[in-house]
Amino acid sequence: MGTFEWKKYIKRGIMLSSIPLVLAACADDTESDTTSGEDPSANDTGDSGNGGEVAELEFWSFWGSGSRRETIEAIIEDFNSEHDNINVEHVYQPWGDIWTKALAAIAGGNAPDVIVQDINSVRQRAEAEQATNLEEYIEDESFSEKFYPQLWDTVLYEDEAYGVPFNTDTQVIFYNKDAFEEAGLDPENPPATWAELEDAARALDIESGDGYEQIGFYPRWNIGPDVWTLNADEGVSWFDDEGNVEINTPEKVAALEWMLEWQDYYGRDTINQYEAEFGSGVADPFISGLVAMRGQNLNYYVNLQENAPDDLDFGVFRLPEYEEGSGHWTWGGGFVLEIPENTDNPEESFEFIKYLTSTEVQERFGMNSFDIMANIEANENLTTHPELGERGLEMYQMAEKSLEKTVITPVPLTAPDYIPLVNTQIDAAFLGELTAQEALDAAQESVENLVEQNQ
Amino acid sequence: MKNADTSQFSKAIQEIKTLKKKNWSKRKKKEAWWGLLFVAPFIIGFLGFMLLPMLFSFYGSFTNYNITSQMDFIGLANFKRMFTQDELFTTSLYNTAYYVLFNVPLTAVGSVFLAVLLNRQIFGIRAFRTIFYLPAVLSGVAVYVLWMQLLSPSSGLVNTVLSWVGIDGPAWLFDPEWTKPALILMRLWSVGGSMLLYLATLQNVPKQLYESAEVDGAGFTRKFFHITLPLITPIIFYDIVTSTIGAFQIFQEAYVMTEGGTGGPSNSLLFYNLHMWNKAFVAFDMGYAMAMSMILFIIVLTLTFINLKLAPKWVNY
Repeated sequence: MGTFEWKKYIKRGIMLSSIPLVLAACADDTESDTTSGEDPSANDTGDSGNGGEVAELEFWSFWGSGSRRETIEAIIEDFNSEHDNINVEHVYQPWGDIWTKALAAIAGGNAPDVIVQDINSVRQRAEAEQATNLEEYIEDESFSEKFYPQLWDTVLYEDEAYGVPFNTDTQVIFYNKDAFEEAGLDPENPPATWAELEDAARALDIESGDGYEQIGFYPRWNIGPDVWTLNADEGVSWFDDEGNVEINTPEKVAALEWMLEWQDYYGRDTINQYEAEFGSGVADPFISGLVAMRGQNLNYYVNLQENAPDDLDFGVFRLPEYEEGSGHWTWGGGFVLEIPENTDNPEESFEFIKYLTSTEVQERFGMNSFDIMANIEANENLTTHPELGERGLEMYQMAEKSLEKTVITPVPLTAPDYIPLVNTQIDAAFLGELTAQEALDAAQESVENLVEQNQ
Repeated sequence: MKNADTSQFSKAIQEIKTLKKKNWSKRKKKEAWWGLLFVAPFIIGFLGFMLLPMLFSFYGSFTNYNITSQMDFIGLANFKRMFTQDELFTTSLYNTAYYVLFNVPLTAVGSVFLAVLLNRQIFGIRAFRTIFYLPAVLSGVAVYVLWMQLLSPSSGLVNTVLSWVGIDGPAWLFDPEWTKPALILMRLWSVGGSMLLYLATLQNVPKQLYESAEVDGAGFTRKFFHITLPLITPIIFYDIVTSTIGAFQIFQEAYVMTEGGTGGPSNSLLFYNLHMWNKAFVAFDMGYAMAMSMILFIIVLTLTFINLKLAPKWVNY
């Protein structure tokens, strides 16, 4: 091979290998455009400030699009212009890997300063020293009183706070008022107990041929057996407050039996078929009118607002009581703000967290995203907020009511991965392989075994 | 790829050794060092990203490592727990074994069959080859979501087609008896990769063999079983070894199709790696997950070893 040819190949090689570099350079540009490029003043204020050092904070969230992203970025912009010594940069991480990435970043020593985390696993992270103990930064003793007590409980590990609740949710039932009227039910008086729910569902069912033209209600859609059993057991989830396993209590067995009766009524095949159809997400069965009452997170309201036709007249009611007086117990999740362990500016990070959880900012976030906020006063203000439409007000009023009996179920430290163990037994019950009693007995035993392994 | 790299590397080393002995010219020595330099990215990658993590994982499997705060030596406790207490360990091992047992032979047969069909000189064959290879190019998650719709019990295409011939299709991903077959079916759709490999080999089978067989009056089946198949056994062997290893590592499909790794109905899709992932990243029980990975390593190593031992009995080189 002659020298001339060699040169040609080397040239080509260099050109080819430079392509990724060019691409990478372009990618960097666009990224900075969308995150911080809009606001060059943020840096300026810092530089021209009191000459002190500017703490650069990296804030990770999974709010990548729509109103949540716009709102959080506007909020951050305001925060930056109000604080000369702090500059926050919002970094979006996809929902699917934000927490795995964060874990790797924490282990690798380059964690973000503030991160939106799952409310159910704060204790786990506190125990594993992944999150910073916030006690020394919380100066105000009444700080915790700003939040719903069940939310604040989730951030405590050995009585000290490792996160601050940001937002939450609560499971309720949406119902189609027109369908109620057609079935001869009072649309202003939705079911309040399990028995009434069943009666209403029977009245709403419309059969056609082999299937249904309208299904009144099916309890296992969107609301799991974990929630119905908790509702029946007066707010006690699979674990009680001391962490004891409470799976096979008589109330929970009765609740599971009740759910199995619903399956028998509609038929397992029918249920599977419809489930597969909604599962693909192509058609929303509540909007299309196939399902007249449907369990959902209250936040589903946003979905309806965006996608439902204007003439869909719907209402919301709390999860009915197991028996009159047993309580409208339901379940909720949510997110907290945490400062990962070993970051450089925890004090400034907490300043930012305090800002995000202040009444005013919480109100603003809720107002734009229709999230139920963790700050009690913010939600209260939203129930009468002049800028919210009638429906929006209704939603926050419902939130206020439902949150009174909303249980948050943080995973116990002794059984962090108990869910598959319980689900497999419950699945067996729905497949007709086990009775409700047998299934929950087996689940009780499995989870006790897991707790033992982790003690 | 990796095998080629390592063999090149050992060749280079060999060459350097011989050079030293024979005291060859400077130019040749220099060339050998250049050779080493060119394979260095792989060597560094292998040491840093494969060997080191593997050694770390080996040590970690004897500890209660939780990624961030603890790493105490606890002896064989993880392994003991795995075999005596963890119910899901057995479930996940069973699910994975089931998948490997059906997936590996079916994909091998499927891709050989397809390769033979596509190894004919008919009009438009190039287009057909592209079409059959296409699924192998499509990326993971989108394909899984597509298949979730195809496998929908009442409105999915699969059951619709079955109903035309009078078969009442199963509930696929909703019925624990059918979830794994559904996944195997889905994997069969993308046999394009190994098909391509077989196709290339088929074209290397000498034409004279077929011609002389034809003269002796051999039909298609005879020719296939007595000429084609024996001559492609080295590739079948390679395919089986690599796809067995791959099948044991099934994870993505189950993670996506069971909504975040819950394991599907009755944990029927809780594969070994999914359980391991849950232990590592849900329970932060990394030491235990590392112990699980060691067991998987031993299983795969043993199977590959058996494969290699059995090879001379049926592979024609």
